[in-house]
Amino acid sequence: MSLGKLKSRTYRRVQRKTPGGNTAIHYEKGAPSPSKCTMCGAVLPGVPRGRKAEMQNMPKTQKRPERPFGGVLCTKCTRNKIKLEARA
Amino acid sequence: MIEIGRVCIKLAGRDAGKKCIIVDILDNNFVMIDGDTRRRKCNIIHLEPLLEVVKISKGASHDAVCKALELEVIKTNPKKSGERPKKQRKVKEVKPDKKVVKKAESLIEKVEKKAEKPAEKKTIPVEKPKKEPVAPVVDKPAEKSVPKKVEEKTTQKKLVD
Repeated sequence: MSLGKLKSRTYRRVQRKTPGGNTAIHYEKGAPSPSKCTMCGAVLPGVPRGRKAEMQNMPKTQKRPERPFGGVLCTKCTRNKIKLEARA
Repeated sequence: MIEIGRVCIKLAGRDAGKKCIIVDILDNNFVMIDGDTRRRKCNIIHLEPLLEVVKISKGASHDAVCKALELEVIKTNPKKSGERPKKQRKVKEVKPDKKVVKKAESLIEKVEKKAEKPAEKKTIPVEKPKKEPVAPVVDKPAEKSVPKKVEEKTTQKKLVD
């Protein structure tokens, strides 16, 4: 607990078992906030959020829905956008 | 608005934003679509009908739809009908164990050696003329020179033969 940044509660405290059998406290930063639709602000389902290492190890198809504007707009907003473009 | 030949834009799914043509009306809610999208069943809610209508027969083929929409025809290999060829299992080739082979060879050698040795022993006594004459033993008391003559006679006979 010598480091000042570890004294604040910005880091999560996680108890991990060491190979020797003791428990050690690890300091981890929490996952970022859930992603939201850029038009309406609704929380996007099917878009996981995590630390960089977790996201890098995840395949691309698991990170966002496979449709135009997937992971950026919610379904309602995408439909409205496509409709408006088609009618224009 | 929903009729065969109506050009639509798909709103939902991975084909969203792509043009398609209604090929068949299946239900009150569902239609068959084809074109830039995959040929598939689709809910009417997921389609945005446009003003264009193309002359197309009911259940038209993918080629006809692509011609109408001026798209490149995606060629697919149709499945061949008929029985599937059965897979034949590979039969494993049994490799002879080196240890077993060596043992067998050593055994065979031993047997051969055994067979050779007694044969030599047997042949030697047959050739010797000492054992054959039994008569001289009887004539021993009379004279010692007699058996020698007999032996000579026997050897001579053998030579003649």
